[in-house]
Amino acid sequence: MKYALLVYSDQSDWDGISVEEAAERRAESMPRWITLFEEMGKADPDAGGRELVAAAEAKVVRVVDGETIITDGPFAETKEQIGGLFLTTLPDLDEAIRIASLVPAAEYGSMEVRPIVER
Amino acid sequence: MTPSLEATFRAEWPRAVGILTRVLGDLSLAEDAVQDAFATALERWPRDGVPRSPGAWIVATARNGAIDRIRREKTFARKAELLARLEDVPADEHADLSSIPDERLALLFTCCHPALAVEARIALTLREVAGLQTPEIARAFLVTEPALAQRLVRAKRRLRETGIPFRVPPDHLLPDRVPDVLRVLYLVFNEGYAATAGESLVRRDLCAEAIRLAKLLCVLMPDEPEAFGLLALLLLQDARREARVGDDGELVLLGDQDRRLWDGASIDEGLRVLRRAESLRRPGPYQLQAAIAAGHAEGAAPHVIAATYAALEQIDPSPIVRLNRAVAVALAGDVEEGLALIEGIEGLDGYSYLPAARADLLRRLERHSEAAASYREALALTDNAPERRFLERRLRDVGG
Repeated sequence: MKYALLVYSDQSDWDGISVEEAAERRAESMPRWITLFEEMGKADPDAGGRELVAAAEAKVVRVVDGETIITDGPFAETKEQIGGLFLTTLPDLDEAIRIASLVPAAEYGSMEVRPIVER
Repeated sequence: MTPSLEATFRAEWPRAVGILTRVLGDLSLAEDAVQDAFATALERWPRDGVPRSPGAWIVATARNGAIDRIRREKTFARKAELLARLEDVPADEHADLSSIPDERLALLFTCCHPALAVEARIALTLREVAGLQTPEIARAFLVTEPALAQRLVRAKRRLRETGIPFRVPPDHLLPDRVPDVLRVLYLVFNEGYAATAGESLVRRDLCAEAIRLAKLLCVLMPDEPEAFGLLALLLLQDARREARVGDDGELVLLGDQDRRLWDGASIDEGLRVLRRAESLRRPGPYQLQAAIAAGHAEGAAPHVIAATYAALEQIDPSPIVRLNRAVAVALAGDVEEGLALIEGIEGLDGYSYLPAARADLLRRLERHSEAAASYREALALTDNAPERRFLERRLRDVGG
């Protein structure tokens, strides 16, 4: 099965912190990212992932009565925003949940496991 | 359908559905094939007699039906693969089914997967593992047939679309998943146990179904002490069913129950099963609950029951368990201590048994005006008629 693993976190946590502090936070979570990439690589060598620019930088596009309306993001005023995603092919939901639980954001934010429709 | 034919159907259903699901990789396809085979059986068996090995007959017929059905299918991605896999299923109506892996445990774990809503787990388990028909389940759960059918369709779609695996979970997941299965069986039992005498028999039969499923689980997981613990608990509770409610529909508390109404055979079986569980030397919450039920059945000393509750609280410190322990401590003689334990419980707001229990302890301590206030608090929280009559009587006793 193909799964999208969506990474949610409160991006305001990163507002107004110094460059040094941000680097420190990244370094702290590094071992967990390494474990994740090892495990994901073993489960699906073709797995891919991307980090997204902060949701506040997003543009929301709607076409209403033929007119394109562009507003500033984020798309939804929720506390947690999508910050990245993985696309991976895994044997089943149990394995997808195991991999998702290894993503550091599962601890400070949340992960959404979404099976991809295959036709 | 005659009762014996119905019993055969229920017994053979999960075995056939399990085998076909393993081969086809899809519960809905498997269920359709087995359903067709049962329909054929219903036509032929009353006329030609029940085959020597009904299970093998059902599997062979379901296999042939599935092959025909898939051949007719024009657009089916995995047609050739599925047909090849079906060829491996014995077509012999007298085959020895024990030579094929028993997939009933995989079926049970799949139906109880935590990614399904609890209601969906219960409905699926009763349909696929207990082999009950949709109308029977709908009547037992007091929902309409279309609503229940819809629930089953959604659950099966979710199994397919989210990739819920059809298997017995690997060892590292088992400690998490076994309790999920036990809980579904316990909930089925409780639905039946809550049913009153006036309600339909199929609803009360849920207790018997839960016991049947727990027995099956014990056969399939002979080294899992909690499976035996659950079975023992269900048997011991079921044994007291007739004594729980008085002639006028009044709730009868354990201490006041007429022991002659207890089912002795069921108690003996429960005690035997509990000993089997305890011999495996890995205690768990169901075994401890069964030990408490066994203590009541055997007339154990109140302090022994209080001690067992203390052990249960160690593993399961939920507010309900803490409340039960508080009451047990009070019954063992230390009413003040029981009352103090009740005052320390949080997270049971709106639960009528908490003020009711507090009221009862206050009454024993002859603190009547406080007891009356607690009885009133409990009355404000329950609509259950027998329960209300009981509380009102006690309220009058303390002069409220």
